Amino acid sequence: MRVLFIGINHRTAAVRLRECFAAAGDAPPHLNAFRERFPGSECVIVSTCNRFELYVARPLHGQPNADDLRTFLSERFGVPMDQVASASIHREQDQAVAHLFRVCCGLDSMVLGEPQVLGQVKRAYQTAADCGSAGPVLHRVFQHAMATAKQARTETGIDAGRVSVGSVAADLARQVFADFADKTVLGIGAGEIAKLTLRHIMELAPHRLWLTNRTHQNASALAEAIHLSADVGGARPWEQLDELLVEADIVVTCTASPEPILTPARFKPILKRRRYRPLFVIDLAMPRDASPQLGSMTNLYLYNIDDLQAVVANSLGQRGDQAQDCERHVAAAVTACMSQITHADLGQLIRQLRAKLHDIGQDERERTLKKLGQSPDPEALDSALDEHTHRLINKILHMPLSQLNQHDGGTPLGFYAAALRRLFDLGEEIKPDTEPAEASEPGPDA
Amino acid sequence: MTLANPITTLILSILTVLSVFVTIGALRRLRHPERAFVASVRQRLIVAAIALTTLGLFIRFWLVEGGWQPVTSHRDGLLLMSFMLAGTIFFMQNRTRLVGLSAFALPVLTFLLGWAICSSAWTYRPFDLPTLHPVWRGVHLTGVYLGTAFCGLAAMAGGMYLYVQTRLKRKQNLGGLGRLASLEALENTIIRAATLGFVLLTLGLVTGVVVISESERQLPPGWWFTPKIVLATLAWLVYAVLMNVRYASGFRGRRAAWLSIIGLALLLATYAVVTRLPPAPPPPHAPPGASASDDGATLKAVTTASIDHRVEDG
Repeated sequence: MRVLFIGINHRTAAVRLRECFAAAGDAPPHLNAFRERFPGSECVIVSTCNRFELYVARPLHGQPNADDLRTFLSERFGVPMDQVASASIHREQDQAVAHLFRVCCGLDSMVLGEPQVLGQVKRAYQTAADCGSAGPVLHRVFQHAMATAKQARTETGIDAGRVSVGSVAADLARQVFADFADKTVLGIGAGEIAKLTLRHIMELAPHRLWLTNRTHQNASALAEAIHLSADVGGARPWEQLDELLVEADIVVTCTASPEPILTPARFKPILKRRRYRPLFVIDLAMPRDASPQLGSMTNLYLYNIDDLQAVVANSLGQRGDQAQDCERHVAAAVTACMSQITHADLGQLIRQLRAKLHDIGQDERERTLKKLGQSPDPEALDSALDEHTHRLINKILHMPLSQLNQHDGGTPLGFYAAALRRLFDLGEEIKPDTEPAEASEPGPDA
Repeated sequence: MTLANPITTLILSILTVLSVFVTIGALRRLRHPERAFVASVRQRLIVAAIALTTLGLFIRFWLVEGGWQPVTSHRDGLLLMSFMLAGTIFFMQNRTRLVGLSAFALPVLTFLLGWAICSSAWTYRPFDLPTLHPVWRGVHLTGVYLGTAFCGLAAMAGGMYLYVQTRLKRKQNLGGLGRLASLEALENTIIRAATLGFVLLTLGLVTGVVVISESERQLPPGWWFTPKIVLATLAWLVYAVLMNVRYASGFRGRRAAWLSIIGLALLLATYAVVTRLPPAPPPPHAPPGASASDDGATLKAVTTASIDHRVEDG
């Protein structure tokens, strides 16, 4: 099997393009479409706010190749082919595996060593396994990747003392506001990143913290998860969103809405009602919840996930040593993983070969026994055994030798010859008989 | 006087050089973290500057002819403003909420000190206010200069507000933002400093009017439409708006910051008009020695025109 990876991420594509992939919803329909289109191949889709990546394992000479995958992405997600081609990156075999390992370790993240991505990869793998699109190769690769990531994080401390998106959001809030004792925070959505960010914001001790979500129970659950006491705030109905926006000073939004929920049209009257008090909006959603035009409105400071992660990335220059250690872990683990994949392929090959030869042997055995009858004559037995052996060897060698004779020119003939010589331990090549004695003897005239 | 003048100029020169070095360091600190050693040196330089300014003020007050004279010339006013500003910068060093504001205040301090050197060495002209009661004169001049110092502080906070806000909006070089004061703290500083400046300038204006009403001089016709009166009135109105910006929400944030800068520019323009324009000939009915430019219905006019009779002092 061959492992392929194709994807876009924060390094290769802007938020606008990444949104097209993130907005396409959950992975299972795409995985099913992939299986229908490329039966016999395995696939895992990793979709986070920073990346949309396909990890594929296919038969050695089967489909899909990189162009097939690009076409699949373009058609499935409605993104023009030229955009997919220019923004996507493609890796194969050990490079593809190394990429996944680096992603799991947080080495490819904008926030070096961030732990959230490991959970996201784990969920993506679980989804693919549930859909049946992850086969033996990808099972092995993903399980190895997650085990390596855990080990590398523990041993290198790459995620220790990290600067997170949440802490940067809190720092930026401090840059806008001096005192939080009279400030109101509004959390929109109930995602995991929103929860982490709100925990950091809560450390600022705001006066009020309201949570709202389309599903009220989710907002209540989030309030419980972040231990929000009733005297500080709680969950509010989604219908009160405009009122809450008037009241809020800091907004943390992270919903799964495919369309922006905070638009200039909605905010114009709200800003007036707020009497142009400063408003700090942290948009952690992908696709974005806040329209980019909001950023140009008076006294409104809008930061999306890319902005926050860029700030984080700038503050991580001093963590190069841990990153190098982690890279070493990844390199060793990739070698081990690829070796396992290769051996697994070989093991399957050997099993198939043994089964095939066993079938041939069984057929010949039955034929020979049938021919010998009930009371074999010793002479007939000798002859039958010779014939049996001869037929067995011919049948075994028939397929490889006929393939060798029908050589189509794809792989050099010498390669097969050398492989046969090595596999059957045939020794060094024997030069054809050229009557050396006669050739080497000098002529009478010499 | 002859002894006080060169000593004051020398002290001012030393202060200016110190201020230039500290200013360069403070501006550098806006983008790069400061090492502990450099921070310690900077702190000591500021302490030294404040001590020298205090010394300069005492020299002025004790060695000047006629005994204790709080503000005897424009140079003394500048020295007083510098002293207040240096004290404010020292205060801001230890206030986490206003961290970084010194980078915007120090250039102004350097400018004021440079201006004071000019006023000391080349254009020294003591205020000639023989008809004023010392209390009225002290209140009037101190109010005007301190008011201007607070307005200057508001403008510096305004400048920093614009700088921080631009970085936040453009999302550029956000790594160093932790070393700068928050927008809310800066807006509060703008409003408080503008309010104090407005009150003190108004005090200067009122005392000036009282002084004029007590004197026997009369204002010439059309005095209210002279450049200095118009400029001073505009400045006064700007600060009146600025101190109420919380209630006039349309002026919040960036607009308030620009207003604080415009207000200071108007005040400086008023200073420039008053100190640059040649005194008009006295009206026929005015007593000998009075000039037409010495009218002063508003704060700066009162400060330097209507009351002050300047005498060239070599």
